[in-house]
Amino acid sequence: MRSSYDVVVIGGGLLGCSLAWELASDNIDVLLLERDQINQHASGRNAGSLHFQLEYRMIQPGLEAARRAAEAIPLHLRAAELWQLMSREIGPDLGLSQKGGLMLADDADSARLLEAKGDVERDWGLDVRLLDGAEAHALAPYLSDSVVAAAFCPIEGKANARTAAAAIGRAAAAAGAEVRTNSSVTAVERQGSRWSLQVSLPGATAPARHVSCDSVILAAGVWCNELAAMFGASLPVEPIALSMTVTARTTSFIPYLIQHAGARLSLKQTEEGNVLIGGGWPARLPHTVAGAPDLSQAPEILVESLVGNADAAARVVPRVGSLSILRTWAGTTTVAPDQLPVVGPIPGVPGVYVATGGSAFTLGPAFAELLSEMVQGRSPSLDLTPYAVDRFASAVPAPSR
Amino acid sequence: MVDLAIVGAGPAGMSAALTASRRGLSVLVVDEQQRPGGQIFRQPPAAWAAPVRTPVGYRWGRPMIEECEESAAISWRLGHTALGVTAAPDRAGSMTLLMRGPDGVDGVPVKRLLIATGAMDLPVAFPGWTLPGVYTAGGIQTMVKAQGLLPARTMVLAGAHPLLILVAELLLEKQAHIAEVVLAQRSLRPSSLLSHLGAVPGHLGVLMHGGSAFGRLLRSRTPIRRGAIVTAARGDGRVEEVDVADVGPDWQPLGPTRAISADGLVIGYGFQPSTELARQVGCRLQWNSPKGGWVVSHDDHFATSVPGVYVAGEPAGVGGAEQSRAEGHLAALNIVADLGAGSPPSRGDLARARADHRRASRFAAMVQEAFEPNRQALLALAKPSTPVCRCEGIERHTVEQVIEATPFLTRANALKLECRTGMGPCQGRYCELTASGLLAAARESTMEDVGHFTGQFPVRPVSVSDIATARIR
Amino acid sequence: MPHSSRLPCPRGSQLTIVVDGSPVIAYGGETVATALLVHGVAAFHRAPDSSPRLPFCNMGTCLECQVSVEDQPLQRACLIPVRAGMRVNTVED
Repeated sequence: MRSSYDVVVIGGGLLGCSLAWELASDNIDVLLLERDQINQHASGRNAGSLHFQLEYRMIQPGLEAARRAAEAIPLHLRAAELWQLMSREIGPDLGLSQKGGLMLADDADSARLLEAKGDVERDWGLDVRLLDGAEAHALAPYLSDSVVAAAFCPIEGKANARTAAAAIGRAAAAAGAEVRTNSSVTAVERQGSRWSLQVSLPGATAPARHVSCDSVILAAGVWCNELAAMFGASLPVEPIALSMTVTARTTSFIPYLIQHAGARLSLKQTEEGNVLIGGGWPARLPHTVAGAPDLSQAPEILVESLVGNADAAARVVPRVGSLSILRTWAGTTTVAPDQLPVVGPIPGVPGVYVATGGSAFTLGPAFAELLSEMVQGRSPSLDLTPYAVDRFASAVPAPSR
Repeated sequence: MVDLAIVGAGPAGMSAALTASRRGLSVLVVDEQQRPGGQIFRQPPAAWAAPVRTPVGYRWGRPMIEECEESAAISWRLGHTALGVTAAPDRAGSMTLLMRGPDGVDGVPVKRLLIATGAMDLPVAFPGWTLPGVYTAGGIQTMVKAQGLLPARTMVLAGAHPLLILVAELLLEKQAHIAEVVLAQRSLRPSSLLSHLGAVPGHLGVLMHGGSAFGRLLRSRTPIRRGAIVTAARGDGRVEEVDVADVGPDWQPLGPTRAISADGLVIGYGFQPSTELARQVGCRLQWNSPKGGWVVSHDDHFATSVPGVYVAGEPAGVGGAEQSRAEGHLAALNIVADLGAGSPPSRGDLARARADHRRASRFAAMVQEAFEPNRQALLALAKPSTPVCRCEGIERHTVEQVIEATPFLTRANALKLECRTGMGPCQGRYCELTASGLLAAARESTMEDVGHFTGQFPVRPVSVSDIATARIR
Repeated sequence: MPHSSRLPCPRGSQLTIVVDGSPVIAYGGETVATALLVHGVAAFHRAPDSSPRLPFCNMGTCLECQVSVEDQPLQRACLIPVRAGMRVNTVED
């Protein structure tokens, strides 16, 4: 590790690695700092869904909320393109597969919701087709008889959350980025027009190092809040914990990403044949004695989520019921009051940028591109106003979920 | 609400269950076997109407099993698999223990949990270790003792642990054919082996029995090769030949191998604590090679780092049945005191239990030191194409490629995520040591630095529909 | 001559289980693993590389004895007692 870089990226998940890769590819001198190991938290623990349709959490509150959430569709479309581009350049370790995604409905209300959602999505340029029950079963014969309609989005699919971030990290290193794990930022200081970061190696006896840089990008998921606080800023996001389940391998039979309009469910099959089950079932974040979320401890699996998620999966794809669960785990993400991402410069803190607010796996490549453009002084290729850090006037309301 | 749930019905679990229930606690015991006893005291099925037998030297074993089987005060969940603990509404006061039995999955709220999950044979990856006909020493012992099953015609027994001598004796008693016993220790003499025979989880105090076992083995003219190691098992779909090389004091092969014809190979290099439940619950572990590897950290009361969760027996450090029995009793007394229910132990009760435990531990410590496996030499047995991960078929060269290509990867969990070792049905129990040993060697770091795999729910596979229909109280 | 054999000892009463569609003799109290080994089953399941696997640890930890029992996959044969008529299938991974 040297003492000076153009840009320091904090956080070694998919977003941080993509940023390092983007910047290094543009010949920017970039240092990636990760406190733990690459891909150990949200990026390696999420379902790896490339979901571009509006999710259950966005459409369930009603059409108004769906319209608001749909403002992020340009980001979705750009992310879908970038995943393909990165897959071509970095290779099969990204595990990219865009065979399409189905969002299911099993009653008339949900079917109507799918229809209305599709109208909104198509207005924004997302290709979504409504299928009736027979068409859905023809496409996916393993679906339960209860499915009466489905929305099919051909660019949806999956990437390999297990390997993608590290593969991008290796590509970043090959392009000239410096990647440092076991390295946490413990203090920051403004020195003239640059930032000086104090970097500690946890558990090591070596003294802390200092690194100076023009720009800092916070790509640390739930830890963005505490990093922003070091810079004297606060972000309009709250941490939440979600759980995931994976089964033993079985013959490949689910090529699509499967989601549900009326239930928390995402379901897909990995390259190796394991079925990944998720969909936003909560886990419990431990709290400190003072009542703040304690992000130093692993979230706890909730039995209601475990049972509810297994039940939702077995109802929608009955064949999944006989598969054995090998692991469940929880990961953390952040959410803003309007469910939209938070991307851009942090107002009042020169040279410091952030991207957080959820979906940073699916949308990570798009966030990385936009931030890379801004850090290099170019204007972002998409309008970032809806995602501005300071879009919530004055006091930050509590998240709605 | 159950006062105390105990996972594991071996010496530690049984003694804790009896102590806690005698003192008035409501006690529930979960074990995958059909009868209490644990691996060390595995009995034939009750339907075979054989009298309870325990190894010579454990006079307390038989009455303990009989008392357990007759005890109406203890809720037995035999033939049940503990799956893990999930957060209950008030974590401080209780937790929900999930278990699967013949009728599906139950979630039971419990106030205290005692982890008494025993140990498993130390996994050692060498060429051919996945071939049919390769068995663990503990595995073949229970096949013979509890099932009346002889799973090969001609066997090679190989390793570095005194359990092999007891297995050899058991096999000879059943008139099985042993082609050779291969022991890695070069200087191992009958006398030194004798003084250590208590090493087997649970064979403390069986010196006399061990001595006579070794004597009978010698008299049987069974070939015993000291200072040698099995480098490979070979065969087409089944073990047909076993390669053996002489080794130096460092267990490194010295010269060419010689092949022994056999259709069975029994491996016994020692034991590692079964800590998956402790990991899932979130207990802190520490690396202690003589005690078997990753052991559960605990205080003088056998309380782990997680409030309400205790540990006893091999998960706290492999030390044998005698030590496990003593720890189970001591942990149960502390749990009774901690809960403030039932009849609390007097200071004298606790002092006696501690003295009993100290006696058992002294000998266990000596044995642990004497039979600590040479982990480096065992790691070197895996060749580039040897599966490190049996379940997913991840070979050594794949693991090493990932390590080499990813210089910023320094911890076992990241290695697991990256190359899938440990992501199959055994959930990492059989590859963790090899995978993390390779990483530590490549980074010139320690097992502590590399860390252990995280344990996740469920600690044994369970079907989606069983979880979907779980009965949660 | 099969590799595995029953040692002389008292056993439960004789019964029949169905292994891969064929009747197999077993005795009450035996595990599915014992019955299959004595019957000469050469692979309880196959690893991803198609290599055959037989029981290894006989105590429920290694999962190498996995078979399907009554259409439920990934059951550990070393832990499950046989029952008359029980349907057991070896597994191709």
